[in-house]
Amino acid sequence: MTGGTAAPGILLGYQLPEALLGGPTAELVTAAERAEAAGVHLLLLGDRPAAPPDAAGPPAAILTASVLAVRTRRIGLVVGAAPAYHEPYNLARMVASLDHISAGRAGWLVVTGPDPAADANHRREGADPEVGRQARAAEFVPLLRDLWDTWEDGGFVHEKETGRFIDPARVHVLDHVGPALQVRGPLNLIRPPQGHPVVLAPAAEPLVAAEADVLTVGSPDGARAARAAAGSRPLLGTVTPFVAPSEEAARDLHARAGAPASDQEHAVLVGDPGAVAQRLVDWVERGAVDGFTVRFPSPDAMAAFTGLVLPHLRGAGRFRGAYRAATLRGNLGLARPANRLVERLALAADRGRS
Amino acid sequence: MSTERELHLGLMFWATGTHAAGWRHPDAVADAAYDIGLIQEVSRTAERAKFDFVFLGDRLATDPALQHSNPAQISRLEPYSTAAAIAAATSHIGVVVTANPTYSDPYSIARLLASLDRVSEGRAAWNLVTGADAAAAFNFGRDAHWDTDKRYDWAEETLQVVRDLWDSGAGPDGTGARRIVHRGRYFSVDGPLDVGRPPQGHVVVLNAGTSDRSRELGARGADIVFAGPQPTLLRRKEYYADIKARAARYGREQQVAVMPGLTPIVAATTEEAVALYDRLNALLVLDPDQEVGELVRAGGIGEGHRLNLGSASKVFGVDLRGCDLAAEVPAETLARAGTSEEGARRLAEITRLTRRTVDGPCRITYADLVHITPAPLSHTVVGNPEEVADMIQEWFEEGAADGFNIYPAYVPGAVTAFTELVVPVLQRRGLYRKEYAGRTLREHLRLPVPPRGTAG
Repeated sequence: MTGGTAAPGILLGYQLPEALLGGPTAELVTAAERAEAAGVHLLLLGDRPAAPPDAAGPPAAILTASVLAVRTRRIGLVVGAAPAYHEPYNLARMVASLDHISAGRAGWLVVTGPDPAADANHRREGADPEVGRQARAAEFVPLLRDLWDTWEDGGFVHEKETGRFIDPARVHVLDHVGPALQVRGPLNLIRPPQGHPVVLAPAAEPLVAAEADVLTVGSPDGARAARAAAGSRPLLGTVTPFVAPSEEAARDLHARAGAPASDQEHAVLVGDPGAVAQRLVDWVERGAVDGFTVRFPSPDAMAAFTGLVLPHLRGAGRFRGAYRAATLRGNLGLARPANRLVERLALAADRGRS
Repeated sequence: MSTERELHLGLMFWATGTHAAGWRHPDAVADAAYDIGLIQEVSRTAERAKFDFVFLGDRLATDPALQHSNPAQISRLEPYSTAAAIAAATSHIGVVVTANPTYSDPYSIARLLASLDRVSEGRAAWNLVTGADAAAAFNFGRDAHWDTDKRYDWAEETLQVVRDLWDSGAGPDGTGARRIVHRGRYFSVDGPLDVGRPPQGHVVVLNAGTSDRSRELGARGADIVFAGPQPTLLRRKEYYADIKARAARYGREQQVAVMPGLTPIVAATTEEAVALYDRLNALLVLDPDQEVGELVRAGGIGEGHRLNLGSASKVFGVDLRGCDLAAEVPAETLARAGTSEEGARRLAEITRLTRRTVDGPCRITYADLVHITPAPLSHTVVGNPEEVADMIQEWFEEGAADGFNIYPAYVPGAVTAFTELVVPVLQRRGLYRKEYAGRTLREHLRLPVPPRGTAG
């Protein structure tokens, strides 16, 4: 894997606000188009299978992401999903499908934290999401990569002249038997365009982070351990901006939102566009992080950040503002992975011969 | 449904076409399974023809060995994400996803379907399958495939919990969410559903099958039953009557539509349609094994079989090995082939499809004996637009079907052929709608939005 240094400037992911995700599709699509026109690397769609009392949350992320995939062309689409509530075979298919539908722009943010309300919705005979949550999550990520690799590139032949639809020699049984999970495979769809959709994971979860392409951390202040864990892999800090044309107006926005403070989870940025842009540049210059997951308190905040802060970053030569590649991997400076399963099978065959 | 019966049409989307060699036809897109633009275009074609729904089948395993007998079963996009992309490109047509509760939990199913219903603004449907496919078990951490009773017990509790969850979600104004606190035999689910109550109240439910358990589940809990393969019109009518009688016991006779699968091979003239059928069959890849082989079961969805003269020899009880496929079969050989009940049934089926007979002037060929599929999922009809419409009208009026799932033999050409050639005939005869009456799938089916808490 190639790391953050190869990527041009600051990496930006927009965490779509719930008001947009749960609102009319037309408004969501317009917001996504604006982010895409500004060259934002990816949109992050949260997904939590439990309800706040007496309210309707947004639709499941995979469905919204698929709608956005066919309404946009370049921007990355990352869905959150917790191993605790998914069968690996099903989730591998969903994320791979999103990668096909978006022509190589899909990503998966591994959600690992405890969630008693969601746990209480998913108990069934033989499966309790509370039990072995971390062990399951750790096994889950490499397993999904293996499932994506069960079809080699070129396994889908569909050659009308000869009638060869597939090449069975390039389709592999996995036979995964781990402490928490068992899956035979192969997957019932072909290898995703990116090889593996981009995997994002919290740096604070070492078991999961080891297998991720991109790491996330809360506030960029105090991200030293995360930086060390990420190595050359891109690391995204989390910021919540309150930005307005003047500092005074920004303070007003912040106050009206209840004046949230920076903490381990995120850094709250309050200021005029130039000041907010400078804070972001400083973190990246110091090497604390390679980019940011930007949380927006409202759809308006997203529009303000795009319209006001991004021009400053572009002007400072810190944000490209255009896509250099067709896939999310390409735009993040990540290489398309080789087929690890085939490498392992070849190795095992060699050992068998010697 | 109102008491005035209406014909319904669905499009079964198998990307390879439902003919095993459909993807090789010149008018087929061979990699349609991964061409979302084409999948959207085919859905729009069906929507222009005012179809009730486009239907995404599914299977939770794969078997590369099926590539020549049943390529549709090998690989595809996952249904929910595909359905969302279809919904984004259409405005009226319903979107059916296949989801198997055996390998999921009720909250996940309720949530994904309710989400699809929101994204499509009331056009979602769930094809509830329990999976006769033993191979899927190994992809979901099981050491063995559950038997039918366990699968149906599990599915019935799932359906109940899913409907309770749909009723537990907040309404469009954000109020009305409530916990369900289900503590059942298999599941423990608190709720409420986080994504809100679906716009249709309850997502439309489809079910297929011929077993007693599946018929009962369909009659009690489904809005649409699509019939399993039945060899004769008489058997179709018996199946239809049985579903309606069972539904009547639950007061649901008017609420369950029976929609069998139908593969139309249609062209402007009968001769062209037969030529098309022959052309598709000529593209089949025959199994090189010429020995008399056992019929092989193709993984639970339909029957695949070894296509070669060895297998045909076994079915017809006549040694056909080494014969020239293109040649006509001598009358005396055909006479022997038709002595068994199964042989006679298949010969009659070949004549129905090809118009070639046992005694000329245009006689059945060896290829015809090889190509006849033993138990297809859908009924195949070969003919001109009027002939295909006649068959549809007969089944509808005789009480064998309330509508049909149209299985295109190849994609997209066979979809266009049906919508352009047959649908106008059905409309001219007053059998099929010219405009949608509403925007939701329930409105197309004339099913009311159920009030909260009336599930089951």
